[in-house]
Amino acid sequence: MKPKTQNLELISALVDGQLVGEDFALALSVCDVDAEARGRWEAYHLIGDVLRAPGSTVPARDAGFVRRLNARLAHEPALVGATLLTLAPGLMMPAGAADESQRREAANDSSLRWKLLAGFASITAVAAIAWNAGSGLLSPAPQLALQEAPQQVLVVSEQGTMVRDARMQELLAAHKQFGGTSALQGPSGFLRHATFETPQDERR
Amino acid sequence: MSSGPDWRHVAAGCALLVSHVLSAQTLAAGASVQAGAPAAQAPAGESKNINDWLMRMHEASGKRSYIGTFVVSYDGVMSSAKIWHVCEGAQQMERVETLTGAPRSIYRHNDQVVTFLPGQKVVRTEKRESLGLFPELLRSADSRIAEFYKAKQEGSERVAGVEADIVALIPKDALRFGYRVWVEPKRGMVVKLQTLDGDGKVLEQAAFSELQFDAPVKMDKLLQMMGKVEGYRIEKPELVKTTASAEGWVLKTPVAGFQPMSCYKRPSAVPSRGEPMQWVFSDGLASVSVFAEPYDAERHLKESRMSMGATQSLTRRLDAYWLTVMGEVPFATLRHFADGLERRK
Repeated sequence: MKPKTQNLELISALVDGQLVGEDFALALSVCDVDAEARGRWEAYHLIGDVLRAPGSTVPARDAGFVRRLNARLAHEPALVGATLLTLAPGLMMPAGAADESQRREAANDSSLRWKLLAGFASITAVAAIAWNAGSGLLSPAPQLALQEAPQQVLVVSEQGTMVRDARMQELLAAHKQFGGTSALQGPSGFLRHATFETPQDERR
Repeated sequence: MSSGPDWRHVAAGCALLVSHVLSAQTLAAGASVQAGAPAAQAPAGESKNINDWLMRMHEASGKRSYIGTFVVSYDGVMSSAKIWHVCEGAQQMERVETLTGAPRSIYRHNDQVVTFLPGQKVVRTEKRESLGLFPELLRSADSRIAEFYKAKQEGSERVAGVEADIVALIPKDALRFGYRVWVEPKRGMVVKLQTLDGDGKVLEQAAFSELQFDAPVKMDKLLQMMGKVEGYRIEKPELVKTTASAEGWVLKTPVAGFQPMSCYKRPSAVPSRGEPMQWVFSDGLASVSVFAEPYDAERHLKESRMSMGATQSLTRRLDAYWLTVMGEVPFATLRHFADGLERRK
């Protein structure tokens, strides 16, 4: 294990999104074993949040939630590479760090609380985990912009897991354009469609 | 029943269910039954009520203006939007501002839809044939829905500050979902809608959380806002009308109650991907889209199924093609479509 100060520098760089490859993996493993490093990770984020939004109070990350999330993730082994199964508080990470060889097939629906993806193709190149302790309920799509927008993105949110498949979203939009069950508002489910998230928009 | 816009079925379905409400209440207007309206297979009384309702709705749609907050939720996920709606004569106009997710403003003027994406500085303009106006609805007295759903009144409840009648729309077979609809009786406006699976579980709910009738919404003002596209890149998705048989497809086993409504091709941005076809079916309330595109081993990895609120989808490889079937129906129904499709070319 490296000296502590070096760990803290590493965490700082991690928070700033400067780490790639081995350094990134190292920083994650540090978070895994070093409680102080995790504390720093939270503190740095808190500082960043406060700097970005002066005046507003930032709720502390819910450590209990993180534990529950980790426990739940541990029960979904087929979803993502093992490197992703432990999350430090507040951590968002692109699973692209995981080796291409680690691609796994999506879990079948019986192992998911949500049936959103239900064995929906395998997860290719990049999968992403995003989670937002506070506002998850209101956001169907925890946003995570990925550099090379992959065909499919795996999102684990407070509500469960889903695959965001760009092509599927296009088809969904096309379907809603002509269909939509809702008798709401007479002419088709226009409002339903308009109100629904179209992650197509986020993709660009 | 020839192909035509599917909204008409939707509205007719709405009409059906509300007609039951009306029959239990004010049927004062019942005298003016159109003699020429085909009664189809539905009982004569039901058909009469539908026509009454259609007329009523047509009249009401000319007056209805409101501002409201609309919420769609499923599986603990919630999306909401603020809605401005105005009718002037035969003209309908709507403004939708999303309150969740990426900011979006959507304007609809009759069948013209303009979507502003301020984040990307992009504006999309589309013509939606499925969004027509009521007169066409009046011309087609289609009561086929009564063959597949039965309506049942379930009392009343306050929604978004208005007292609404609750009507359950129960499917007569396992090929479709059920609905529970809250209708504001004076204006015939649907204020809440639930989609229910076979066990009666709510798959998705859409409702107004807040509603202000006769709000001062001005159409010319909305039109002005709709036209403010300076600084935006304009995207116009191309859509080519076609027929399934012209594209070489046939549904060799029809799915009970579902009629073909329309068929389109979308020229793809990537020419090698061909032109995906979308064939739309409807049973009057639910709709199903069948998408067919050339199979691509790189993109089409595995046959799968997905569920998102009321909307289900599944994929299937059929020789050189990749099918995606999607709709507000149970998986078994999608499977019927996927298995019934055949290439004839």
